[in-house]
Amino acid sequence: MGKLSILAAAGLLAAPLLTANPFLHHLLILVLFWTLLGTAWNLLGGYAGQVSFGHATFLGIGAYTTMLFYLSLGLPPWLGIVCGAALAAIVALPIGFVCFRLKGPYFSLATLAVAEIVRLVALNWESLTGGPMGLQITTLPEVSFLGHTLDWESKVPFYYLVLALAALAMGVTHWLSRSRLGAYLLAIREDADSAEAAGIDTVRTKVVTLALSAAIAGLAGGFYALYFRYIEPDAVFSIALSVEMVFIAVVGGIATTTGPIIGAVFLVTIAEVFREHFQVGHLIFYGLFMMLVIRYLPDGIWGRLRHFVLPRAAE
Amino acid sequence: METLAQSVVSGVLTGSLYAMIAIGLTIVFGVMRIINMAHGEMVMLGMFGAYWSHEMWHLDPFLSILLWTPVMFAFGMFVHRFLLKKIIPSGELNTLLYTAGLSLLLANLALFFWAGDYRNINLDYAMTPVRPFGISISVQLAIAFAIAIALTGGLYLLMTRTDIGRAIRATAQNPDSAALMGVNVVRIDMITFGIGTALAAAAGVLLVPSLYVYPTVGEILSVKCFVIVVLGGLGSVPGAIAGGLLLGLVESLGAVYVSVAFKDTIGFVLFLLVLLFRPAGLFGVGRA
Repeated sequence: MGKLSILAAAGLLAAPLLTANPFLHHLLILVLFWTLLGTAWNLLGGYAGQVSFGHATFLGIGAYTTMLFYLSLGLPPWLGIVCGAALAAIVALPIGFVCFRLKGPYFSLATLAVAEIVRLVALNWESLTGGPMGLQITTLPEVSFLGHTLDWESKVPFYYLVLALAALAMGVTHWLSRSRLGAYLLAIREDADSAEAAGIDTVRTKVVTLALSAAIAGLAGGFYALYFRYIEPDAVFSIALSVEMVFIAVVGGIATTTGPIIGAVFLVTIAEVFREHFQVGHLIFYGLFMMLVIRYLPDGIWGRLRHFVLPRAAE
Repeated sequence: METLAQSVVSGVLTGSLYAMIAIGLTIVFGVMRIINMAHGEMVMLGMFGAYWSHEMWHLDPFLSILLWTPVMFAFGMFVHRFLLKKIIPSGELNTLLYTAGLSLLLANLALFFWAGDYRNINLDYAMTPVRPFGISISVQLAIAFAIAIALTGGLYLLMTRTDIGRAIRATAQNPDSAALMGVNVVRIDMITFGIGTALAAAAGVLLVPSLYVYPTVGEILSVKCFVIVVLGGLGSVPGAIAGGLLLGLVESLGAVYVSVAFKDTIGFVLFLLVLLFRPAGLFGVGRA
């Protein structure tokens, strides 16, 4: 694992320097962005086995917070990203206390309903969100880094930003999988009643995990706002977005640290290349891969592959 | 008073079509214990079927139901036989995710082949609404309502008077016992999935003259359908009918008396409240 991770990290750090092709830069950024979202969903859906179909809510909150802090209050975007993540985590608490009273598919349906309510509120609260017109950033502030002024028209600064966020999220996942909380989650996923009987406060554990997962999705939302510079409720709060996150994690391999990045590499690359040629319908592959993976690789691509790549007993 | 009557009538008309879609979802859940996330896409396929047969062969959409219901029944059986059968035993969450994949696949195939345009059909005989007692009723919704009642009645007869119906109800009650009594449960599963798909598609055909057709229309219909079956109690057919009418009424009354913008929100809030406080549905007949 050690050598392989170092090699992967070095490759990721050097990647944008190897090519000047903006499409490839865009592709790398999207892969890491979706890794971030898949990782966020995976904390709750993979480790705790609580399948949420409403994670776009937290992405949307992160995106709108970042946008509004910058546009209305004039605060620096990095502060907006952090506050967006915090706000997403705070909003996750009441959502968690309500939805975790339900189990299995009922929980999934409840998260879907909550996400739709939030989308409709965002769509109609025009004084705050701009409604269906959305919000737009025209210029980003000047930032100096090591004596250079960052060029926001180039994609390279965004690449390193999303790389840092993805690394942070994967670090949190790695920590979680080895922590006491992670052990609780595993117990809840395997048998909620036994976990409760063993003295685990299952609702609290799940709510804390949801908040953590929401915070990471919120970070991703903040990045989305800065990178695309335009957001509207149907883009950032959509059901499709929530479902895509699930697919990234499941195709890659749920409850693994590396899974989401593998899922993102496969799905995003194929989808974006397809989009370059055909404009629409690039999500065909998401659906198709999802069905094939559940049918033939129920542990996901990485869930199967890791037994060949890694020495026994690692991860 | 007239406004109230008007919104009640249009709520019931729309609600009857919601109910029909929901019955399809709920009998599939009742028999196989799966929530089909791709149910709305079956409605979408029915809608496109009716749209294209009208565009290409000038077939009246209400007549084309005779074509698309059997076609989609066969499609449903095919989906169960070749896609779902192997997945269902691996657990309800796997099945949920699998059907979510199927839903995205179907919606995006439709987007790829038919583009994302909003399409609709204008029927010559349904241009002006009829006005009995000063209430305006759209002709196309009234016809759809009548056909929906006929189809639901037909389903009732199928379920209560035929051997297949009896076998379906037995499987829903207890698949193991049904199998011991000589019911071919796998075949019944396949037929039930076909019936659920056919009902969704038939409702789609009936909706075409009243609703815009576009590839992702199934998403919002799926979500509404989940709301309805939870309101009525998952697995219960009378519950689905009541839930469908209730959602239709809540939407049309909400649009008039609360706000047009938030009419969909009311349905979802109702849904969450029922999930939390009466998970077996408003009438306590579902399986929580």
